[in-house]
Amino acid sequence: MGVVIGYIATLGVYFCIYNIFAFGLNIQFGYTGILDFTVITFMAVGGYLAGVAALGPEQPGTDIYYVLGLSLPWPVALLIGAAAAGAVGYLIGLIALRRLRSDYLAIVTLAAGSIVYGIVGNDTRLFDGFEGLVGVPQPLSGVLNLNPNDYTVVFLALCAVIMAVCWFLANRLYKSPLGRTMRAIREDLEVAEAYGKRTFRVRMSAMVIGSIYVGIGGVLTIWFVTSLAPAGWGTGETFVVWAALIVGGRGNNLGAVVGSFLVAVLFNEATRFLPAISSLPNLIPEIRNICIGGLVILTLWFRPQGVVAERKARFFVVPLQHGTVAGSAAAEVAVSGD
Amino acid sequence: MATETDDFAPATAVTPTDGLLVVAGLARRFGGVQALDGCSFAVEEGTITALIGPNGAGKTTLVNVVAGAIRPDSGRVYFAGQDITARPSHQIALRGLIRTFQLSREYPQLTVLENLMVSPQRQVGERLSVALLRPGRYRAQERAYLERAVQILDDFGLYGQRDEYAKNLSGGQKRLLELARAVMAGPRLLILDEPMAGINPALVDRLSAHMLRLRAEMSITFLMVEHNLDVVERLCDHVVVMAVGRTLATGTMAELRQNASVVTAYLTGGVADVRAES
Ligand SMILES: Nc1ncnc2c1ncn2[C@@H]1O[C@H](COP(=O)(O)OP(=O)(O)OP(=O)(O)O)[C@@H](O)[C@H]1O
Ligand SMILES: [Mg+2]
Repeated sequence: MGVVIGYIATLGVYFCIYNIFAFGLNIQFGYTGILDFTVITFMAVGGYLAGVAALGPEQPGTDIYYVLGLSLPWPVALLIGAAAAGAVGYLIGLIALRRLRSDYLAIVTLAAGSIVYGIVGNDTRLFDGFEGLVGVPQPLSGVLNLNPNDYTVVFLALCAVIMAVCWFLANRLYKSPLGRTMRAIREDLEVAEAYGKRTFRVRMSAMVIGSIYVGIGGVLTIWFVTSLAPAGWGTGETFVVWAALIVGGRGNNLGAVVGSFLVAVLFNEATRFLPAISSLPNLIPEIRNICIGGLVILTLWFRPQGVVAERKARFFVVPLQHGTVAGSAAAEVAVSGD
Repeated sequence: MATETDDFAPATAVTPTDGLLVVAGLARRFGGVQALDGCSFAVEEGTITALIGPNGAGKTTLVNVVAGAIRPDSGRVYFAGQDITARPSHQIALRGLIRTFQLSREYPQLTVLENLMVSPQRQVGERLSVALLRPGRYRAQERAYLERAVQILDDFGLYGQRDEYAKNLSGGQKRLLELARAVMAGPRLLILDEPMAGINPALVDRLSAHMLRLRAEMSITFLMVEHNLDVVERLCDHVVVMAVGRTLATGTMAELRQNASVVTAYLTGGVADVRAES
């Protein structure tokens, strides 16, 4: 029984984490139209920084090297991870968002992601290179002293709370005048600029907030698996987040949730139970990617807006004041009715 | 009085305070094309000024330079007496100079009402901290904007379409939306790039009526690129004629009809004739 609960809680944790990733990408791409092709880099930055903030100083002789090692409590580590991801998002935004063209942006984000990957992988002094960080302490595990399955349930509750806060704030942003301006920029950047919108600044806000979201997801990831190495955040993972958002429906956070469930949870788990063939160890991950790719293509073909389409903004009804100006309206309706 | 520039040297006669908008000796080259070549004129406050000229005369380029969308190679732009040359578009817009585009460019995936709600500048709810943490602080302003937007939509006969995606409007409705959205920004000067192009005569009359009304009610000054000379004659106080990137003449429509070089430039396409004369 405990095993089943632990398994379901594990799925729940991944569901929450992917939701947060998808919210972050949704703020960047779904709201603002920023083609961020290196989502997963922010997850890594958040995870690593939270990891080295929480780990103790590196021990000589263990052959594991990393910077900082501050032994900080987990809430502080969370803040550090989120802030670091936001800072890297800002730096990439400085280069990528200067130009208006979106293809330029896509290429810059891809390149920046490769650079971060190369540096983290090859410079063993930062986060132990391709070996990665291990043994990152889990929040509250020392205090609670639970068996792994029960701990997973507690951790799920933590993830669910953080995810709910992220969802709430993302929706609030969407409905605000700032969110509306972001969507106007998504629709036509030049026009928004011609209407006095500081498009660079607004896009930078979206870039940084999205990066912080993904960074928070990264912190939860490293806490849950207690380790993080470059193999865990290749370009393929960025693709999974994109697939979740496209399939679920970009521009709305419910779509991001549905997409995370379909792509990151359902497909990941369904393929996990396929019989492994020992001579082809890469077969299952490849099948997984083929399935997700197929799902994206089918979505774009049959329902390009995604499973849950972006909804129209609703305003409270304002009565018309029929005065002198509005008097002409009745005559005009006939012409505009075509 | 029609002033005719016989030698096409950049006119230096304008000074920054000649009007609400003053354009002085603007030049801009695209590869081998000299799109603007020392264009100068002034738009007086409270007028509806027309900018006419053959295709390729540089009218849209001029609008783009004035609005800060592209940089001039030389020359100056003054708005309300201040030098705004090559300022970023959003800064120029914040000073009250709003332009529309030659092809309708609504925000397609926003509703008609939202298209208007984006326009007001420096909204309280556009600040990140307010948007995320204190949404109560923008409610009152949002409601005021909403009331104004609904009123403007009603004035433009788009009230029934307010919750429709802008991309689903007809061509003529999109032109109306373009103007309604610009009005919502509360501009001092509105530059319209061929607002009447491709719309039926009844709608032309309605748009003209709207412009006259806006000038009277909101004291908006207009600069309008337009090919339809009947509309120009009826609507505009003042006309600027451009050809090959220069100001060919300015004056009222009646004055310009007497002007031989304007007639040739306009009726024959201009470019060859103007070059031959100079
Ligand atoms: N971005 C650009 N790159 C290259 N050439 C350009 C560019 N923009 C305009 N041009 C050229 O500059 C000249 C003036 O173009 P512009 O669009 O300003 O003319 P216009 O007076 O608005 O014409 P129309 O009445 O057809 O709209 C044209 O020869 C055009 O080809
Ligand atoms: Mg033009």
